[in-house]
Amino acid sequence: MKLPNRSRQIAEEFEKRQQEQENKQQESKQQANREYLKNQIAEEETFFTLIRRLARENKLAVVSFFVILLIILGAVLAPILAPYSFSDMDLLHRLNPPGAQHLLGTDEAGRDILTRLLYGARVSLLTGVVPTVMSMVIGAILGVISGSYGGWLDALIMRLADIMLAFPSMLLAMVIMYMLGDGLINVFLTLALVNWASVARIVRAQALQLKKTEYVEAARVIGVSRTKIMFRHLLPNCLPTLIVLFTLNVPSAILTESSLSFLGLGLQPPAASWGLMVNAGRQYLYMAPWVSLVPGAAIMVCVLAFNFLGDGLRDVLDPHLRK
Amino acid sequence: MLRNILIRLLQAVLVLLGAALLVFIMLRIIPGNPAAVLMGEHADTAVIEKMTKELGLDQPVHVQLIHYLAGALRGDFGTSYSLGKPVSQLMASAFSNTLILALMASAFAWLVGIISGIIAAVKKNSILDHLFMGVSLLGVSMPVFMAAMVLQFFFSYKLKIFPIAGTQSFAGFILPAVALGWNSAGSVARLVRSTLLEILEEDYIDTARAKGRRQMGVLILHAMRNAMLPVITMMAIQLSGMLSGAVLTETIFSINGIGRLAVQAITGRDIPLLQGTVLFSAALVILGNFLADSLYHVLDPRIRKEA
Amino acid sequence: MRKTTTLLTTALTCAMALQASCTALAAEDGVLRTAVLYDMTTMDVAKTSDNYLVPMNVFDRLFETRKTEGGNAQIVGSLCTDYQVSEDGLTYDFTLRDGVVFSNGSELTASDVQYTFERLLKAGQENMDIPGEVAGAEQVISKEADTLEGFKVTDDLHFSVTLSNPNAGFTAELSAPAMSIVDAETMEKVKNFGKAPEDTIGSGPYIVTEWKTNDHYTLEYNPKYWGEEPSVKKVIVNVIPDANTQNLMFQNGELDLLDLQSLDTAIVESTYKTMYESQIVSTPKVGLTYLTFNENQEYLKDANVRKAICMAIDVDTIIASLYNGNAIREHGIIPTGIWAHNDQLAGYSYDPDGAKQLLSQAGYKDGEVAFEIAQDSAADSNIKLVCQAISEQLKAVGIKANIKSYDHAAWLDLRNSSKMDSFVAVWGMDYNDPANIMYTFFGNEKNTRQRSLNYPDTATMERVSAARAVMDDTTREQEYQAIEKKLIEADAVWCPLFESLHLYCMGDRVESFTPHWAGFSDFYAADVVLK
Repeated sequence: MKLPNRSRQIAEEFEKRQQEQENKQQESKQQANREYLKNQIAEEETFFTLIRRLARENKLAVVSFFVILLIILGAVLAPILAPYSFSDMDLLHRLNPPGAQHLLGTDEAGRDILTRLLYGARVSLLTGVVPTVMSMVIGAILGVISGSYGGWLDALIMRLADIMLAFPSMLLAMVIMYMLGDGLINVFLTLALVNWASVARIVRAQALQLKKTEYVEAARVIGVSRTKIMFRHLLPNCLPTLIVLFTLNVPSAILTESSLSFLGLGLQPPAASWGLMVNAGRQYLYMAPWVSLVPGAAIMVCVLAFNFLGDGLRDVLDPHLRK
Repeated sequence: MLRNILIRLLQAVLVLLGAALLVFIMLRIIPGNPAAVLMGEHADTAVIEKMTKELGLDQPVHVQLIHYLAGALRGDFGTSYSLGKPVSQLMASAFSNTLILALMASAFAWLVGIISGIIAAVKKNSILDHLFMGVSLLGVSMPVFMAAMVLQFFFSYKLKIFPIAGTQSFAGFILPAVALGWNSAGSVARLVRSTLLEILEEDYIDTARAKGRRQMGVLILHAMRNAMLPVITMMAIQLSGMLSGAVLTETIFSINGIGRLAVQAITGRDIPLLQGTVLFSAALVILGNFLADSLYHVLDPRIRKEA
Repeated sequence: MRKTTTLLTTALTCAMALQASCTALAAEDGVLRTAVLYDMTTMDVAKTSDNYLVPMNVFDRLFETRKTEGGNAQIVGSLCTDYQVSEDGLTYDFTLRDGVVFSNGSELTASDVQYTFERLLKAGQENMDIPGEVAGAEQVISKEADTLEGFKVTDDLHFSVTLSNPNAGFTAELSAPAMSIVDAETMEKVKNFGKAPEDTIGSGPYIVTEWKTNDHYTLEYNPKYWGEEPSVKKVIVNVIPDANTQNLMFQNGELDLLDLQSLDTAIVESTYKTMYESQIVSTPKVGLTYLTFNENQEYLKDANVRKAICMAIDVDTIIASLYNGNAIREHGIIPTGIWAHNDQLAGYSYDPDGAKQLLSQAGYKDGEVAFEIAQDSAADSNIKLVCQAISEQLKAVGIKANIKSYDHAAWLDLRNSSKMDSFVAVWGMDYNDPANIMYTFFGNEKNTRQRSLNYPDTATMERVSAARAVMDDTTREQEYQAIEKKLIEADAVWCPLFESLHLYCMGDRVESFTPHWAGFSDFYAADVVLK
């Protein structure tokens, strides 16, 4: 692309600036290395100072945090809060609009939607958290092994990750779900299997970076064993990244579960899952919109809250991942 | 550089082979005899047994694997149980629909994402910025099926502007493409905004701003060129996401595409069709990644020098 | 700002152009647009018993079952204009309609009929049971003989068929879509019959002109058809695998005929019974929805438990709430609309207290009886709701009936393995004869195992099998009803639920529509009259 003369000047200036910026970055990297060393000695940031920093920098994240807390509370207290049982059918009052008796109306089988929403929160939160933790553990361990050992083990793990990442996640999840059959545990396993590869990749990259720091090199020179370096030094230093990844992967797991349930591949009725409820209510959208819009909105609010919180945490914990 | 690309190509082929193997292993573990489904509810055991033999399902697993790999190499994925036609033929006709859908969705995502990203960056912290970023985060958080359902409801059912389903006219593709692209548009907008902001925050921008609006435009253009690299990489990553989303949009809008075929394959317990569609999608993603990588090499002078 | 305006204008113009293109999509004269949930796998009745829309419209049969004004199903001649049965009920002499040609111009003769019979047997896949009754069928199936011994062609228009056992329902069976007469000459030429539209040569009112798999297929009027020219000249069948989408398309005017069967009754009630009241056509879906009991199961092997279950299910409420009354309560095995149906059979009526009492008398504690209802994940939403309702109602009398969902293949596998505890399913009648349901479920040990019923009484099963050969209609009816009474009232072999009504909705362009006599989703396009 050829730019006119005057603008080329600006462009050149721009490139110069960029060069300078790169140099600056180089410097700041070394700075970061030194900080790492310092951090090891200095007292670790406590949970509360972190929250305080978060509260100062990102109000939305705090609001989201409380929204999530509210959802967790609703899910945990579902048996107490819920006015009905989640499978109780009242066949004579199907698709009732929201009202005094049923605050959010009833669904196609005459079940109370508010009740099912609360119980559905359990499923959504569990499918958000459990498989994400599973995939993070698998991914972190494989990633750190891959990064610190290198060689054929690294190649093997990374090619395996490549293969997993080659599948569109939804299709891979569908096949695994199909293989395992439906049920909550199988949803967990499926999501964990689908998500570990990207975690492994990121952790590996971080481990490679950390390996080059003076601090780890020093540890190696002293003769600290590789396993010890891996679990004592590399993995803990990946923790901020992992926390950020966690907040990013939770909403995506919730979305995948709801999509699977929507397609009829996840949980089966009368179990309450938000995706399932949206799907069941889809055919009544034009006559009883609350049946599918209420759980749909719940999914959105929950995912949105996790995304905001993730954004906020990322800014605080890991400026490198800012993009 | 050529050598580099060749190595990448070889890697891509290996990954594809691994993917084929993985799909095969996963689908062999499944219990249940597909022949029984194929023959329907009225069939008796003798008929089912005969069909099992005809499909080669009674052969040892390694023989089946060799047949499958050799077939896949020739583009032959066997015959669909549920639709009774060669899988390759079914995928060929479905692929054109998925391709149109994905292209339109990408076009939508790029257009809306880049424009709103630029506006948001230029008018940083204005109402527009907050609005665009809010909507884009909503796009990222909104399940594809919700977007598709709501769009279908309003624009087809209420306003009757677009057909509810089917692809017999071009108009049938518009809503599904928007539903599918919505999500990516959000990510593109956020990426464009943050990349531009980094550049625009530099102090020499003020100089440009002082010199007049036209230079500002040129600058943005130049900055955009640099922002294009991450966007291209992201689009390659999003190809995978689009194929995932296509599963849902195609189902909701009844589009005969790869995604809907995969769903049908699952409900019909149609192993050849499932094998074919899943492997084909994986091949698309691998190809997309390979192309993006190669393009990156060609476009980015720094990487080129290193090679 | 000006740019935005231009952009907006362009967008609006585009939208308007699109709207124009949509209206351009509206149907031409003589075209009927309809939708199906699944695409057909083949148009060949030797390979499928599921997709009969094309066979019904493209081919003819010797007889047709049609509904009379009074609503009874009646067998009428189609390609066959006359026939005689011998005294022993074994030999039928048929006369064919003169001057019938296939759509490729070649004449339809007795040897085409013979070819049709023999082909089904040689293919050895689907729909073998009807030609299987002809003498010598075994030899053709086992490839010992090339031609059917019991099939004698006299001349082009006359032939006789000898059965190995007398069967009073034979002509009824010949009206089944399975017995579509094919062109022997074409069949010899083409490979893979049933896949390509151009090979699908029949003598019926329509020709298949296009089949875009998983998208749509098209039937067009056959100008060589021997009968009256139908009002519908072209049928476009869209494959829309989702009942809800079909519903929206119909309301948008994109479809002219909608099958309401898979649509939730709540929608039918609130939308169709109000907005389209005068356009609804309803017919009993001749068949039975039932809950099975596996008599090998720990608790279900006890007849008292089975009876208690029958008494604990409130079928009337299920009909009223889930089906909005669009179903007929059934008490036995032979459903309403089949000629041996027994109105007088009492069966079981809803009595939860009686059920509890029966259970405690039989020595079961509250909550002890437990079994699993296996649900086919491919079943329509109404059946799934029925399962859930039954489970809830049984809970009320202290029976744990857990619903477990299986995908279609696993479900079939489990059922065929005879290990499924219980399931809810619909049996649609293929032809108007009680044997079609009695023999299929209770005809012999193999049949009862294949449906996971494991009915142990071999003497009764022999009676069911023997009843097929009784030639006198009255005696046969009495025998079937006596067996049915024993199976239901003494053995409680299953819990009969209901026969649903099959509803269709006609679009604004349709004047009238007569559904298939048994309430199939497949229909005769010639029975649709356009405005």
